[in-house]
Amino acid sequence: MIAIQHEDVDINRLINEAKRPGTGAVVVFDGVVRDDDIREMELEAYEEVALRELEKIAEDAKRLHNLFHVDIVHRIGRLSVGENILIIVASAGHRPEAYAGSRYIIEEIKKGVPIWKKELRKDGDRWVPGEHPHGSGKHVH
Amino acid sequence: MTVKVRFFARFRELLGTDILVEKKSGTTVAALVKEIAEKKKEGYNAIFDEKGNFHEFVIVMRNGKRLEPAETTTVKVTDGDEIAVFPPVAGG
Repeated sequence: MIAIQHEDVDINRLINEAKRPGTGAVVVFDGVVRDDDIREMELEAYEEVALRELEKIAEDAKRLHNLFHVDIVHRIGRLSVGENILIIVASAGHRPEAYAGSRYIIEEIKKGVPIWKKELRKDGDRWVPGEHPHGSGKHVH
Repeated sequence: MTVKVRFFARFRELLGTDILVEKKSGTTVAALVKEIAEKKKEGYNAIFDEKGNFHEFVIVMRNGKRLEPAETTTVKVTDGDEIAVFPPVAGG
């Protein structure tokens, strides 16, 4: 399941469905809204492009890390502290592949998938700065 | 011809989004975005530097594909194009 959606997802169901013949490890990454003195968090996506990029990341992760199955569910809309933002489920024959594949997926999402977070704070709202700041305006040297 | 310009996140708040523009052919992506952004000073300053170039961190896509810096001033928009302009991503 690769999705960008408002609704939460049943993680146990995803884990069960990720268990294919030969599976020895399922790694679950659950990114949640942290209590950084915020009221809520608002998430926005360039949905068509973000979904296509998540699908590509999942396919690349399977190929590069010998994963059997990948789920990526990224939520958008308004979320409260403690709610799930991003669920990644990666299954493989052994734990090294499952861990490495899961890590690859989250780092690739952070690098380039067009999704943004706005913290709705008690002292004013703030867009969360991206970790990879170079864009099309990057100067050519 | 008609081109759609979409701003996201902070840029959307400053300039709006899903803006349909009627243009004659020959307009570059950078010129089109600049023309729209110029209508609101704060939005313009968020996207362009004092020389009128995109800020280094600004990401521009044409029909879902990222444009390299030099391409924004050379690639011309065509009928039905969707241009997206946004700040660095922060998903996950």
